[in-house]
Amino acid sequence: MTAATETAALPRLRAVARPNRRWRLVRDRVLLFTVILAAWEAAGLLGVDPIWVSRPSLIAERLWSLALTGDLWRHAGRTVTEAGIGLLLAFVVGVPIGVAMARYKYGNAVAEPLILGLYSLPRVALAPLFIIWFGIDLFSKVMMAFSTVLFVFMLNVHEGLKTVDRDLVDLFRTMRASPGFITRRVLLAWVVPWMIAGLRLGVGLSLIGAVVAELIGSSAGLGWYIERAGGHLDTTGVFAGLVALMVIAMLGNAVVSLLERRFSAWRGA
Amino acid sequence: MNDGQPAASAAHEHRLSTVPAKIAVEALDIAFTGLDGAEVLVLDGLDLRVEPGEFVAIVGPSGCGKSTLLRVISGLLPPSGGRVLVDGVPVTAPPPGVGFMFQRDTLMPWATVFDNIAVGAELAGLTKAEIGVRVPELIGFLRLAGFEKHRPHQLSGGMRQRVALGRLLAYGPDLYLMDEPFGALDSQTKAVMGRELLRVWATYRRSVVFVTHDIEEAVTLADRVIVLSSRPGRIRLDLPITLPRPREGRALRGDPVFSRLCGAVWDALDLPPIA
Repeated sequence: MTAATETAALPRLRAVARPNRRWRLVRDRVLLFTVILAAWEAAGLLGVDPIWVSRPSLIAERLWSLALTGDLWRHAGRTVTEAGIGLLLAFVVGVPIGVAMARYKYGNAVAEPLILGLYSLPRVALAPLFIIWFGIDLFSKVMMAFSTVLFVFMLNVHEGLKTVDRDLVDLFRTMRASPGFITRRVLLAWVVPWMIAGLRLGVGLSLIGAVVAELIGSSAGLGWYIERAGGHLDTTGVFAGLVALMVIAMLGNAVVSLLERRFSAWRGA
Repeated sequence: MNDGQPAASAAHEHRLSTVPAKIAVEALDIAFTGLDGAEVLVLDGLDLRVEPGEFVAIVGPSGCGKSTLLRVISGLLPPSGGRVLVDGVPVTAPPPGVGFMFQRDTLMPWATVFDNIAVGAELAGLTKAEIGVRVPELIGFLRLAGFEKHRPHQLSGGMRQRVALGRLLAYGPDLYLMDEPFGALDSQTKAVMGRELLRVWATYRRSVVFVTHDIEEAVTLADRVIVLSSRPGRIRLDLPITLPRPREGRALRGDPVFSRLCGAVWDALDLPPIA
């Protein structure tokens, strides 16, 4: 993913489709999902060794038993906590840096190669370093999630501030609004859709950061569960972990979509 | 005020002589550095007085520095030479009591009509309770009732400018600086908005500097029309508009005085001949 696609990924909201079309869409989505699951199940039953691809029914069974023992909630909760704190921290740190990048143009020009260099660095490669620095507990995973998402907020907010209507800012200046008032009520309000676009990317990226750190060294979390299942050639366990991660990511995206509908509608017009 | 008209009374005259001009522009130069590094003189030694309560329209060819002049008066842009006083105080930053209106509506696109108007009252220092009274009052006055919860993208261009006017009135300035505020509207909406502005002006009687390129609009609205020359901008004509008020665009159409005044502005503009 490049800087351009991450920062330009603003929501384009479409008018709500007519009810019968919506219903058709839901039906076809369920249909596609069912066909894929059925084909997968059939492959497992008709000779493909479950050691390679497992079977949806086995995965469902596993998830059910993991839910009953509480392991599912423990591991999922751990991963969500790591990704969530990392995401929040990246927001809290990244937004002010993005504002500063727009405010101090010369400083930004000085730091730009460094920022883009760090941004281009595959941050998963930092995992071993983070384990040395922050240990193998929660904190190193939080920092991995934080480092993968940080730049998205920085660059998105910076990009959004470049589009601010100068006349609108001047108008507030003629009304003798303080710089703090303009920052809070005009600039930050203006970049809310860019923050939400950052959040949309951040949900996926923070999970990547947390899971990668778990794969490398941890004692809990879905990444750890997947890693351990893989070590035991437990394909069903690997898939159970993947399904849980997918559901978490989809729930996160649904929350972002709600935020988009509430706060970004004016951009789509 | 009212150049060329006898003052109503001695007391009136006395008041005028002690109250400082609303705006005094003194030997104002504005120069920009062009792309080639050369200095471009936009305004050259401009002198201008606007009295309290006076409605002045400024007309001139594109690039004559009309908009720049408004930016200097509002403290957004420092002068290159000379000075500008508002209420007798030299302008170094946006002075108090100045309301600006741009050609584009410059509303907060995420905020409702109510909130876009309320922010003016908030910046004027009104309390929450006062805002709750003042804003609905203005919404009624500007015929925006029923649209309180709408956002700018759901409104027509004319309504957006009504909201911008509402924000200006909520801020409650003594001086309105208007930079082609109705320039982007179709001619009917523009006529309606001109009428609205005259209604506002008749109600509040504040000083107005109204920049436009529409000669008839200028003559219809203003007490004085000032014509600037093309770059560098100098005053070519300072024409008192003696037409009686209240004025109505439709009735003025056939009025010989109106036609003569418009003609005088046309002549002063000195447009290049058709090649």
